Amino acid sequence: MASESDASSIATLSCARCQKPAHLQCPKCMDLKLPREEASFCTQECFKAAWSSHKAVHVKAQLSSIAKSLPGDQNSDLISQGWLYCVKKGQARTPKLPHFDWTGPLKQYPISTKRLVPAEIEKPDWAVDGTPKIEPNSDLQRVVEIKTPEQIQRMRETCKIAREVLDAAARVIRPGVTTDEIDRVVHEATIAAGGYPSPLNYYFFPKSCCTSVNEVICHGIPDARKLEDGDIVNVDVTVCYKGCHGDLNETYFVGNVDEASRQLVKCTYECLEKAIAIVKPGVRFREIGEIVNRHATMSGLSVVRSYCGHGIGDLFHCAPNIPHYAKNKAVGVMKAGQTFTIEPMINAGLWRDRIWPDGWTAVTADGKRSAQFEHTLLVTETGVEVLTARLPSSPDVYPWLSK
Amino acid sequence: MEDDEEPPMAVQIQPDISVGKIFSVEESSDVVSVGVTVITGYLGAGKSTLVNYILNGKHGKRIAVILNEFGEEIGVERAMINEGEGGALVEEWVELANGCICCTVKHSLVQALEQLVQRKDRLDHILLETTGLANPAPLASILWLDEQLESEVKLDCIITVVDAKNLRFQLNERRDSSSFPEAFNQIAFADTIIMNKVDLISQEESDELEKEIHSINSLANVICTVRCQVDLSNILNCQAYDSTHVSRLESLLEANKSLTTTDLHDSGVRTLCISEPQPIDLDKVRLWLEDILWDKKMEMDVYRCKAVLNIQNSDQLHILQAVREIYEIVPARKWSEEEDRGNKIVFIGHKLDEEVLRSGLRDCRP
Repeated sequence: MASESDASSIATLSCARCQKPAHLQCPKCMDLKLPREEASFCTQECFKAAWSSHKAVHVKAQLSSIAKSLPGDQNSDLISQGWLYCVKKGQARTPKLPHFDWTGPLKQYPISTKRLVPAEIEKPDWAVDGTPKIEPNSDLQRVVEIKTPEQIQRMRETCKIAREVLDAAARVIRPGVTTDEIDRVVHEATIAAGGYPSPLNYYFFPKSCCTSVNEVICHGIPDARKLEDGDIVNVDVTVCYKGCHGDLNETYFVGNVDEASRQLVKCTYECLEKAIAIVKPGVRFREIGEIVNRHATMSGLSVVRSYCGHGIGDLFHCAPNIPHYAKNKAVGVMKAGQTFTIEPMINAGLWRDRIWPDGWTAVTADGKRSAQFEHTLLVTETGVEVLTARLPSSPDVYPWLSK
Repeated sequence: MEDDEEPPMAVQIQPDISVGKIFSVEESSDVVSVGVTVITGYLGAGKSTLVNYILNGKHGKRIAVILNEFGEEIGVERAMINEGEGGALVEEWVELANGCICCTVKHSLVQALEQLVQRKDRLDHILLETTGLANPAPLASILWLDEQLESEVKLDCIITVVDAKNLRFQLNERRDSSSFPEAFNQIAFADTIIMNKVDLISQEESDELEKEIHSINSLANVICTVRCQVDLSNILNCQAYDSTHVSRLESLLEANKSLTTTDLHDSGVRTLCISEPQPIDLDKVRLWLEDILWDKKMEMDVYRCKAVLNIQNSDQLHILQAVREIYEIVPARKWSEEEDRGNKIVFIGHKLDEEVLRSGLRDCRP
């Protein structure tokens, strides 16, 4: 027997032809996973009568999915130009789309060839061979560094550059632009400022920033896919300037975005805002997770658990580890002079994530959308300084921020 | 594309059961996780013997063994997996993901173990055998995951195999150097200690050694063996880090009324047990523990800490577990009417100051 809530969800479906309550659905639409609303009918007779016009829906869906999977489209042109699919955590490339049970509409697209960094730019030790050596062996993986005034000043500089680079990326976002183009903007802006784009070749990551569209949670690799009207896209920038890293990210709207996505992005922004509000000496790192979790859950959203905020400075990632979920065992309390990121990833559906064949891109297991925001923070004697804060020149992209 | 002139039969709409599930965003699934047992001990103590004994035993369990060379750092590139079922050993290499820290919560070792569990039809347990002189503390911190992560693997038990014939020598090594020989760390951090090769020493020597071991770590379960032939139920599924599985902890605390080491070995690594009959304030307890575990108050070095706590304004018995700086206090079950609701805390470590700890606990009264 159907439960009460189930009965009411069926009762709301109406016949696509005559609007009477519907109890039957088109099996072809079921196969093609098309929306139920246009596939419901009250009786076989109504279905039969609607058939000749209804079946156009199948044709449209099938054409669209074939176009997307055929190599005989722009992707095959790109392949012939040397664009390839990324696999094995960035250590290899392949001309064929890897096999995967993609959790949502998004798939891997080919990526462009490696961007070069001029010789005069100071580079971290992974730039050449893809493997950090100093970072994993450093004491700073266990002990949280208290930065000297000199280090703090360098961090302010780096973070300002990182903010300006992110803003440059934000300005080019619109339907039709590929994430690869965003990466080019980030790469060139970083180098123009005299910095190195930290993600480039970090454990073989192939690009200079992460671009995470829709159901991608984080670490999306910029590729040939064009942004579409209605997408949300996160751009995550880290700049290494004079040996010091600054890390931030924001989620942007592409064209006209639906209400649910707008709420998701706004709530995620608020999660970060509320987390930053409690930062000051003496606060436990584990408290951040409680704040983020509370706000997300209250809005009916979930918190990604596999990725966390991290210490940052002369190292890209170091202690402390700051989970964004509740009831975590993070060690330590905040002290003046510490610098770290908070970067909550919030999902419209469930928290679980999966990794694409490229070994980097994390997507929601249920294919629903995810948003993220990140700042690099400095704990001061009395509170916090947001080192990557918006500047007066930053583009006006959030309706809740403008007057 | 087919040319559908005739419509197919429309199908009955089924209630969308999956929709109901998606609404409950914070649902916790019944993830059955595979226990991971860490086996440590000096070279030649009998770790491999123990592992082979477990793999070849007729217990019907599918167990994966991972050999690891951790040493001081956990930056290992590869682990070999032996999987035995009725004696058949299958070897395969599992590549650890290059140690990419990159803001992931789970260490690459954990991710590799999870992948292993996902790939195998049914894995009942994982044994992680460390080679050489290894301090299990860093491994414990990596494997003791937050429950929120709902990982397919969880830390089950830390077992140290000691060589009855050579243990005394290994413990006395200290006299030559300023730092502790690994033997102390391996004993202090263990949940279970297998004292192997007892056939090579006398009963009195064996009793002496057991006392010695307990003076370092009163909470550990000591099992004497010959050629590591031990009852598997003593070493698998111990659930030593399962916050809801309190009975073992309670029985340990009950059975060992006088856990405090009385004769102070010059090692300085010992067990201390303190108690407090009155309910205590949770916030104060946390601050007090963090003082000790995180700030190394008074230079005390606590390796492990376990406790049963009576928290003010709660009808729940709370359990405290700590391995180095990582700790958690969780409500475990309701106090029963008749039982004695005292706080009992056991510290295992170095330079423990009993008076300081006693007064600190007293100050946690509301």
